[in-house]
Amino acid sequence: MTRRIIHHPVLDRIDETDTVSFTFDNKKYKALRDESLAAALLANGIRTLRHHEEFGTPRGIYCNIGHCFECRVTVDGVQGVRACLTPIQEGMDVTSGDKLLTSVRDWRANNE
Amino acid sequence: MIICRCEEVTYGELVETADKYGCSPRELKLRTRAGMGYCGGRTCRNAVDSIAHSSTKRDVSQITLKYQPPIRPISFSKLGGVGNND
Repeated sequence: MTRRIIHHPVLDRIDETDTVSFTFDNKKYKALRDESLAAALLANGIRTLRHHEEFGTPRGIYCNIGHCFECRVTVDGVQGVRACLTPIQEGMDVTSGDKLLTSVRDWRANNE
Repeated sequence: MIICRCEEVTYGELVETADKYGCSPRELKLRTRAGMGYCGGRTCRNAVDSIAHSSTKRDVSQITLKYQPPIRPISFSKLGGVGNND
């Protein structure tokens, strides 16, 4: 838990004691309550939140303010949840998106 | 270099398509899918627009690339799926 900025010169001190646990891809992690899911995963050293549906390239936080949807994950079964905007709650089950089985981008290329 | 992150369209692809067909921005979007991704073109809209206009003059009668509804991606279940068809 040392990767967070605890004593920020401007913002007030972060309360490190109020931790919750959540699972990401079936592994248990610790995070601070009401921290954004993206920040919690980053603090635990996880930068790859999903893989591109078509090409499988790893994707993670990009805009961190809810515009780009690069950080979308599945939380408790709900898809397309933006990790950067979702506050952490106790016992959240988060799974990352993976490459889809079939390519849907250019059907003519492999269907003609 | 990737211009459109959601569809992984590279700068080379865009310039090559724009020069080959002399496209307007909308046509460039239709040909390369740049701007059709999950984020609704927020990241790459301006880049696609300016790449298209580097090879063809701006035609003001054409509709520009813009945000299309739904403004944010929405799941079909929210639109009236079982359980929340209020």
